This record gives sequence, structure tokens and C-alpha cells, in this order.
Amino acid sequence: MNQLLSTPAKIELRHVTHLYVSTSRAFMAVRDINLRVEEGEFICLVGPSGCGKTTLLSLIAGLEKPTAGKVLIEGASVQGTSRQVGYMLQQDYLFNWRTIEENVFLGLDIQGIRNKETEDYALHLLAEMELADVRHSYPAQLSGGMRQRVALVRTLACQPDILLLDEPFSALDYQTKLKLEDLIFSALRRHKKTAILVTHDLSESIAMGDRIYILARNPGRINSEVAVPAEIRSALPFDARNLPGFQDLFHQVWKEMEVVSDATKGN
Amino acid sequence: MQPKEIEAIHRDHIKQKAKERNLILLTQLSIFVVFVGVWEWLARINAINVLIFSYPSKMWELFWAQLLDGRLLPHIGMTVWETVVGFLLGTLLGTLLATLIWWSPFLSRVLDPYLVVLNSMPKVALGPVFIVFLGPGLLSIIAMGCAISVIITTIVIYTSFKEVNQNYVKVVQTLGGNKRQIFRMVILPSTIPAILSTLKVNVGLSWVGVIVGEFLVSKMGLGYLIIYGFQVFNFTLVMVALAIIAVVATLMYQGVALLERRLTSQFK
Repeated sequence: MNQLLSTPAKIELRHVTHLYVSTSRAFMAVRDINLRVEEGEFICLVGPSGCGKTTLLSLIAGLEKPTAGKVLIEGASVQGTSRQVGYMLQQDYLFNWRTIEENVFLGLDIQGIRNKETEDYALHLLAEMELADVRHSYPAQLSGGMRQRVALVRTLACQPDILLLDEPFSALDYQTKLKLEDLIFSALRRHKKTAILVTHDLSESIAMGDRIYILARNPGRINSEVAVPAEIRSALPFDARNLPGFQDLFHQVWKEMEVVSDATKGN
Repeated sequence: MQPKEIEAIHRDHIKQKAKERNLILLTQLSIFVVFVGVWEWLARINAINVLIFSYPSKMWELFWAQLLDGRLLPHIGMTVWETVVGFLLGTLLGTLLATLIWWSPFLSRVLDPYLVVLNSMPKVALGPVFIVFLGPGLLSIIAMGCAISVIITTIVIYTSFKEVNQNYVKVVQTLGGNKRQIFRMVILPSTIPAILSTLKVNVGLSWVGVIVGEFLVSKMGLGYLIIYGFQVFNFTLVMVALAIIAVVATLMYQGVALLERRLTSQFK
């Protein structure tokens, strides 16, 4: 609590509860979530489906307003979407009618900040992702992994300091997924972004995250928090999987997940 | 297998396909020739009433004569003009109306029963109302050509607006886009294929509206020729007009289809 008083966290959720209301029922997606993410941290959210992971991202992104509680970014309450927060979806959702280059400039167009400088920055990111030679191609001509890299560049081009990743690797084949994990991990580190990754893949969460929150469902709530030791944190995701402590941590997270899933079955 | 053998197999395949294509084309052509031939023959041996059914050579003669003395082209031009304006206007208005009700979910729910009623209504029945309202002329005919397609266009396009994958909308939202940007950058471009394909349907619908409109009021056009031929009992003229409508309507449809293929190649 002392920390809280001194400097505001990059992202903070205070007693956040969110309901989805329809004529047939009011459904509680998440209940009393408290969460703190420091600048430059990489946080992973894991949990059974329906535990409100995507809801949390929507709340942080400002796509939805929490029914109760507060969502704060750098101490200020979130009011709608902002340039500060980038969002990456499960699939790339590139626009087929725009070239790769035009897709990457989408955010610049929307925010009205498209100029020589921002375009150059976006193209520089494209080159960093080894996509410079496809800038005039159309999305349909690219492989799944390339398209997801373009989607990352599209998000980063607007220079957000927070990145929300909603299972961005889940639609890819295993090999592409591992390569992309390394690539995105190092890109986010290099650009000093704060990130929250939602995933189903436990080993991915350990390999990429600094801290892991395990969520339970009905309603979605934080069950436990696991800190990843420094050596696994600093290694690239691919290498991290071969480090000594990795398997133990995996089993620990696995057990926590079992508890969460069993509890749900009990209902 | 040697590269040469593979090549030979490929060549054989191409040859086979070309053969099939030629056979289909030949059959299609034969059907037409046999149809025209039998018609002509039946007329010559007086097996059919030539006053009602006319026959190909007489129709050709009339067509050629009217074409040469310049009486035919203005009729064709007029009908084509009315149809083009009718279906473009119908598609445009339909798209605008769809945009309006997409914009306001409240309006969309309010207008829903009215759209259903208007859609179920046979639009050509409105003919007399248009004529009284817009005068017995070009305007009424274009209004018919437009009215017949505008409601169905609205419904089809509004539906495809709603069917746009919400995740594309989410992409624009998370990048900070407002409702206008969502429409301009996602909804409209991703429904262009749907809009173009309604254009294709609307060509056919507008022909119906325009021909009926010409039946009712015109002094010119292919529909007028049909009614005039009917009244003076010149069925050769009626048949010529029908044949011209068949050819021109097909050309127009193919033109729009070509446009659709050109413009949507990027969306696939």
C-alpha cells in the first residue's frame, strides 16, 4: 500500500466488478478484481474459458466501463479508448482491401497523426519485423505468422505504452507461435512497453510473463498470483522453456489451474 | 516421372478442357439455331399463326428497316437511359437508407415493420400514384425503376452492414476510432462486394419497373413499342422489341458483372 501512495501504477484495477446485462439476465463477468501492473512489466492472465480475461482487457482498453470499481492508468481513471493503450486480437483482422503498408498506417489515419515522421516510424517497425519487402502486398498474400506480425506493427505504430494481447498466438501453428513469441517478447522489451497477455497456454504464460495471475470463473475473479523468477524472466521465451526451474513452475501453475477448474466443476 | 511426361499430361488436360468448352459452346449455338429455324419453318408451312407469333426473317426485316431509318435507336436509348438511372438511383438511395438505419439502432427498430410492408408490396402497383404525383412522363418511369429496387437494396445492404465481423470494428475502436470512422473504414469497404452484387440484381428489377412504367405512360421506349405493337396488332414489332430487351438487358447485366469482378478482386 505504501507503493500505491508514492507513485501511481501503470495500470491499476481497484475492486472492479463488471456485469453484462441483457433482457434475459444480468451476468457477472468479473467480481472484485484488484490488480496492479508496474511500468515495463509483462503480466499474464490465465484461467478456464469464461473467467473474464477478455472482459478485463476490454475494461483496461476503455471499450467498456466497469459496473463498479475503478480502472486507472497512471493514476487517472480510464475514460474510453486512448492512444496510450494498444490492443491485439486473437486473429490479425487485417483489412483485405488495404495493402500491408496501408493496414499499418490505419491507426495513424484514425488518430489523425499520419505524417512523414509517423509513417517512417511505422515502416521502420515493419522492417524490424522483417516485413519490409511485403509492404505493397495485400494481406491475402501473406502467411498467418506474417499477418499477425503486421497486426503487431499496426498496433505499435501508434506508439502506445501499454499493450493488451488477447491470445495473439492461439490461431497459429506451433512452430510459428514459438518464433513469434520470441519476436514479440523482444520487441516489447526493446520498446519498453507494459504488457498484459491473455492466454490458455500455461507454458507460454511462464515463458513470457514476469507475473502470472490465475483466474477462476463464475464469476471471474483472481484466484492466485505466481511470480516468475528472474532468470526465466530475462531469457527469451523459447530458451526459458529449457531452464531448470521452468518445469517446477509449470507444475505449480498447473496445480493452481486444477484447483480452479475443479472448483468450477463442483458448481 | 520425367518432366516431359508431366508436361504431356498437363497438355492433354488442357486439350481435354478445351474440347469440353467447345462442345458446350456448340450445343448452346445449336439450340439457338434450331429454335430460330423451327420457328421460321413452322411459320412458312402455316403451322403457327404468323399474325400472333410472327417469324424470324420478318422480324429481322422490320428490325433492319427501323434501324436504318433511325426510328429504333431513340427507343432503345430512352429505355436504357431510364433503366440505368433507375437502378443506380435505387442502389444509391437503398445504400443511403441502410446507412441511416445502421447509424441509429432506434430508427432501425422503428422503421422495421414499415420496411417489411413496403418490401412485400408489389411496387408496380404504385404506378398510378407516381403518375399522378410526378406527371405522366420520364420522371414516373424512373421512379418506378427506382422504387422497385430501393427497399430490397436497403434490407440486403443493412443486413450485410450488420454481418461485418465485430472484431474489425474492435480493431478500429481500440485504435481510437469514432462511429464515423468505423463506418468509413470498416463497414462500407467490407460491404462493397455486397453492394455491387445488389447492383446486379437491381439491373433486372429496374427493367421490370421501367417496362411497366412505359406500358402505362410513355410515348417512347421499348415498353412503348410493345404496347403500341399490341394495340395496332403488329406482333412482329412486339417480338422485335422483346428480342431487343433480351439482348440489351443481358449486355447490361454482364457489364455490371464485369464491373463487380474488377472492383472486388481485392476483397478475396
